Amino acid sequence: MNYPVWDLTTYGGGFLIALVAVVHVLVSHFAVGGGLFLITLEKKAYKDEDAGLLDYVKKHSKFFLLVSMVFGGLTGVGIWWTIALLNPAATSSLIHTFVFGWAAEWVFFVGEIVALFIYFYTFGKMDRNNHIIVGWIYFICAWMSLFLINGIIGYMLTPGAWIETHSFWSGFFNPTFWPSLVFRTGISLTLCGVFGFVTAAFLKDDNLRQKIMRTCAVWVAIPFALMVGGGWWYFLAIPEPAKTIILEKSPEVTNYLQLLTWAMPILFIASMIMAIRLPQSFQKVFCFVIVGIALIYFGAFEFIREGGRRPFIIYDHMYSNQVYVKDVPEIQKAGFLTSSKWARHKEVTDENLMDAGRDLFKFQCSACHSVNGPLNDIVPIVQKFDTVFGMDSMLNGLGKINNYMPHFMGTREERWALANYIVHGPDIRVVQEITQQETAQKKPAH
Amino acid sequence: MNPATLIPTPDAIPVPWGWFYILLMLTFLLHILVMNAMLGGGIIALISSFRGGEQNTLLSKEFGYKWPYTIAFAVNMGVAPLLFVQVLYGQFIYSSSILMAVWWFSIFGLLILAYYAAYIYDFKFEALGSLRIFVLEFSVLILLFVGFLFSNNMTLMLQPEKWQAYFTSGSGTLLNLSDPSLIPRYLHFVVGSVAVAGLFLALVGHYRFTKSSVDRDALISKGMGYFTYATVIQIFIGIWFLIALPKNIMMVFMGGSGYGTILLLIGIVLAFAALYFGYKQQVAMASVITLVTLVIMIFMRDLVRIAYLKPYFQLSDLTVQPEYSPMIFFLVVFAIGLALIGYMLKLAFGCRKEVTK
Repeated sequence: MNYPVWDLTTYGGGFLIALVAVVHVLVSHFAVGGGLFLITLEKKAYKDEDAGLLDYVKKHSKFFLLVSMVFGGLTGVGIWWTIALLNPAATSSLIHTFVFGWAAEWVFFVGEIVALFIYFYTFGKMDRNNHIIVGWIYFICAWMSLFLINGIIGYMLTPGAWIETHSFWSGFFNPTFWPSLVFRTGISLTLCGVFGFVTAAFLKDDNLRQKIMRTCAVWVAIPFALMVGGGWWYFLAIPEPAKTIILEKSPEVTNYLQLLTWAMPILFIASMIMAIRLPQSFQKVFCFVIVGIALIYFGAFEFIREGGRRPFIIYDHMYSNQVYVKDVPEIQKAGFLTSSKWARHKEVTDENLMDAGRDLFKFQCSACHSVNGPLNDIVPIVQKFDTVFGMDSMLNGLGKINNYMPHFMGTREERWALANYIVHGPDIRVVQEITQQETAQKKPAH
Repeated sequence: MNPATLIPTPDAIPVPWGWFYILLMLTFLLHILVMNAMLGGGIIALISSFRGGEQNTLLSKEFGYKWPYTIAFAVNMGVAPLLFVQVLYGQFIYSSSILMAVWWFSIFGLLILAYYAAYIYDFKFEALGSLRIFVLEFSVLILLFVGFLFSNNMTLMLQPEKWQAYFTSGSGTLLNLSDPSLIPRYLHFVVGSVAVAGLFLALVGHYRFTKSSVDRDALISKGMGYFTYATVIQIFIGIWFLIALPKNIMMVFMGGSGYGTILLLIGIVLAFAALYFGYKQQVAMASVITLVTLVIMIFMRDLVRIAYLKPYFQLSDLTVQPEYSPMIFFLVVFAIGLALIGYMLKLAFGCRKEVTK
């Protein structure tokens, strides 16, 4: 309500951020663990004087550079770009609260890039020990990036004492900080194995390929324990009522939870299949299937984490629709449109009923609901409400029965306008003629 | 409607604004330097490819080796100033970005394409043959377009009176094309990037801090040639930019403010000095003067921003909720980061010597 809202309709409801974020988290976690994978294998190649393995590490580092630095780096900037467009109020809040956390993260980002360039371009030219040191610097910088961003993301779900103190450190070292760090570190290491399958599958030498496939399978298997253990600890650390929302209340989260519980063992089993000696043609296809499974698995996790935050974007501080919790009493009194800087109409009249309703939908609902779009489509959800009165009662009950959604914010007239828009609005229903008389009849006394 | 009513309420900052201002100026200078090497270098490589000949082809090939670095660092060095500008001017830049959301959102996708094209150009230079010029064009055009979008947003954020266009189109397709200062401002950045990139080439030739098989004298004379020609054009575009600004803002540099006027005068004197040393092919002097000119221009750019926003906002309006420890943490990390980078560069340069031995 402080900021304009990008009118997205079909691609609203967080579709764009889901698109960017899901691919980014997969690649960025790979970018963290991948550093350790490279140096471990490089060291082993030196120890065993294994030229084939060393050659593989070099090839893998090129793949790693192109995937993690170009795609990972730019989609990371892309997430920031996207959240600022979709939820500027929350972005501004995160930027202002954690500005020096972000700035420190930027320093590690610079370190990562410098280290990776040097690592890649001096492969085979630099003294072996020094080259491994550069690899270690890369890994430490990348892991520190994870460390810093983990604190800020965790804060959004569990701000903990920050709500009282407003101190950087209490928000950063929030109740899910450590479990989430263990979980994400586990994922990072698991993903090295997953992406290792991809580069290994294209090796021509059968014995080398099989040897590296087995190594990658071990890289999936061992950190898997860290990931599952960390994930469980993370889950236990989530306070009520977020936990209940994840487990029982939210209709969207339940599906992702199911997806997660299926995808996790499948990822493990599929990765172990790669340890078996199989035809290369199969491995070349199957390695991408495993990346796909990892994407689904990690995507599901991110959806659950985001969904668990409902109805907030920053728990107990700001609602998903950019309204500060502290501002709600004033909005209820003065009205939502009056309080919104970017609303076209400041109050509801009979003439602007539909326009005002559309604005209310845009500012209060569109952050989570698309119109005829792939994410959280509003159209089928409201299909059963065929009278404005019914819809209005539903809106009145929001946030009281279903606490994964915010309650309606604004006056009764505004609620009525929103109900009218949802029931008769040209975007959501087939255009229906509504007469002034009809609205007048149905309009409650106020 | 009073445009001031549209401006969102800013969030509080943890330390006084001066800290962020220094960090913004400093990191923006770094970004501009690398961005110039990237964009100007791309333009010079493209011109060289068109002109053909052995030295020109070598030049555009060698640029290809460095190009991916410059894109990576231009993006990376852009993150910090964009962070600090959001801290100081978030209420403006978030709003204007949403007005042009479709364009703004496209930027990082476009950059991914330009970046991969740069790698294809680098890794497949020989294999591409005559096709490589298309790859180069593709990538340079994207970068030019991204720069144009930046100029749009950086001007749109300063003019809340234009924001009312949101009420006729909220789908994020607006640009700031009606602003008479948009084109000269954009060209000022583009042509400036060619000048600075030319200087980088001459520096490579002069100091040999990176290997090059282009003839040393050719590198210096070509680099200084680009530098001098671009600076001449730049002086005219600068004048155009100045008179295209709204009168009250132009006057800041023409007597309205002592500070602004002195900056402009120094800028003009330095531009002519740069031209002189460029013509004389004195690389070191031209570089020092250009660096100082860039600093002056960055401060002038900021004065323009302050003057545009004067009716609505000044930095001292921001509420401070003091908390210094995170800043100290950042400064420590920054120092460690610099040390690590220095150490790694030492290793990298050391090993280059070993290889050449």
